[in-house]
Amino acid sequence: MSKVAPANPLEMLAYNISLMIEDNQIVYIGTGLPMVGAILAKKTHAPNITMVYESGGQDPLEGEMPWSVGCPFTYRKSPMTLEMAISFGQCAIGYVDIAFQGGAQIDMYGNVNTSVIGSYENLKAILPGSGGGNDIGSLTQKSVLVGLQTPDRFPAKVDFITTPGYLDGGDSREKAGLLGGPIAVVTQVGIYDFEPVTKRMRIKALNPGMSVEIAQACTGFELLVPEGEVPFIEPPRDEVLEILRNEVDPRRVFTKMPGS
Amino acid sequence: MTTNFEYNQEALKNLQIDDPSILDRLIDGESARQAHLKKERGKVDKRISLKEAVQEFVKDGDIYADSGFSYVRTPLQALFEVMRQGKKDLQGIGSPNTNHSYGIPYGTFSYSHNSYLGAEMRGTDRSYSKAVKEKKVKILSEWSHGSMGLGFKAAQMGAPYIASKSLLGSDIIKYNPYVKVVENPFKKDKDPVCLIPALYPDVVFIHVQWADKYGNARIYGPAVNDIALAVAARKVIITAEEIVPESDLRNTTNTNVIPFMFVDAVVHLPYGAVPGNCPGYYYWAREFWEWGIRIALSGKDDKYRDSFWDYWVFDCKDQFDFIEKLGGIRWLNKHQVIERALNGINEDDGIDLSYQSVIPKWDEE
Repeated sequence: MSKVAPANPLEMLAYNISLMIEDNQIVYIGTGLPMVGAILAKKTHAPNITMVYESGGQDPLEGEMPWSVGCPFTYRKSPMTLEMAISFGQCAIGYVDIAFQGGAQIDMYGNVNTSVIGSYENLKAILPGSGGGNDIGSLTQKSVLVGLQTPDRFPAKVDFITTPGYLDGGDSREKAGLLGGPIAVVTQVGIYDFEPVTKRMRIKALNPGMSVEIAQACTGFELLVPEGEVPFIEPPRDEVLEILRNEVDPRRVFTKMPGS
Repeated sequence: MTTNFEYNQEALKNLQIDDPSILDRLIDGESARQAHLKKERGKVDKRISLKEAVQEFVKDGDIYADSGFSYVRTPLQALFEVMRQGKKDLQGIGSPNTNHSYGIPYGTFSYSHNSYLGAEMRGTDRSYSKAVKEKKVKILSEWSHGSMGLGFKAAQMGAPYIASKSLLGSDIIKYNPYVKVVENPFKKDKDPVCLIPALYPDVVFIHVQWADKYGNARIYGPAVNDIALAVAARKVIITAEEIVPESDLRNTTNTNVIPFMFVDAVVHLPYGAVPGNCPGYYYWAREFWEWGIRIALSGKDDKYRDSFWDYWVFDCKDQFDFIEKLGGIRWLNKHQVIERALNGINEDDGIDLSYQSVIPKWDEE
């Protein structure tokens, strides 16, 4: 029996994010769990990735530090920093391979809402707004959406499209003139992709202990299920968990479960 | 009122803007050009106090921009002086525009060109949501960081607009009267692009680490939109941690420089980004921000908000009063040490980053 405690849901989420990253990629990093996942990837299977940030940081040296997007960590000893407009230009012109983003709502076509709950005319709440989300999701070759999955947070249609996914599905994203697109959604339940023709969200693999029924119960629309048996994600090996806990997020800033 | 510009009618309707002339100045390149043509050409000592700078250069109703990123190198002490002087009806613009919401209850900001308001992991600014619902602030346009940044870049380049692939297909476009989707005229096949007009704020405060007395200014860390903003804005005020000799800037040309001719005034303002972070100088006051976003801006009760700003803004005459309230020289030194360690300038082994996180009673379970 392993002496290392199994991954909690947030650690599993960070691990799944790390699996999205391949070695030698240029990775555009947002705040929070994507940062944890990217550094985990760098310290395990993808040592040669380069991280870039919205505020313009390029290839910082990582340190054992707490994080926020404005943190000195995003440009620590960077050879240079770029201006914000140019950092998004990097996504559009093909100098970013993969980017991550979260949202208050993610819908069946991977559209993301970080703007309003309700509508402007009938406002329930104003959310923080796009920030760089719209740009990252509109421009980057591959984007990965990260979220905690509940029926409210995964509705059939978002209240407001802040960041376009596949819009109404099919070829509507391409017709709108957008570049790249979301390739996956990573949640505490598992990993989803988008069915190639309809562009609807589809289960790709589930976390240990999850099931298609649980995934569906956490979703406000009908999930597509792949043919045959749904694969399960191998839990992270002990040495990966130890790197995550001891080197990547030792203060448990992002991977501590609330209340624990 | 008449307008000389063609706005997106759907956005005007959605935002309930009856008189679009209020939108004009932001994209009025000719008036920005005229303002720039009238600027002082000589290399003269432009140093004045913060009070004088705000009195002279911030007019009621101005489109107000500032530097940095949310709580990094943001001229917060200048913003607090703007609030103290009772300036009214400003249009806040910035990517992000996190800090503009503070002045809404006092009438400092009545309009918003919105891209991002909040403090990321620290929380959401619910008071802004409340102010929009209560019509204390009017949203004039919605943006993403990239699209707004391109608007400033277009102004910097002297280009009337830039074509971008941001915003296409999104609902942001339905709430932005300025941007337009057209077909790329260079392509035979259909290829929608989003046209983003050059954006010209009236006044920008840019906080930097080093400037000379003429206004040449150097930035360490991310420049964000500031190099573009310095060109785009009609009036530019530099607030600087240190005023250095001109020769110092001439001999170190490898960091970002804003040339003196864009600059109207230079304010020597050490700790001008407190309670935010000034790269290489001091770390941010984490407890202040958590208290602010989780209690004062929670939207729960106006008394939390009013007592917060009374204490931190209206009962302070300057940044030194503010630092005394944070904990004086002990607070300052601790945050200087942390900042230098995080940047790899000082040894980081053994640096204590612990602090008492502010959790409101209503969030405790």
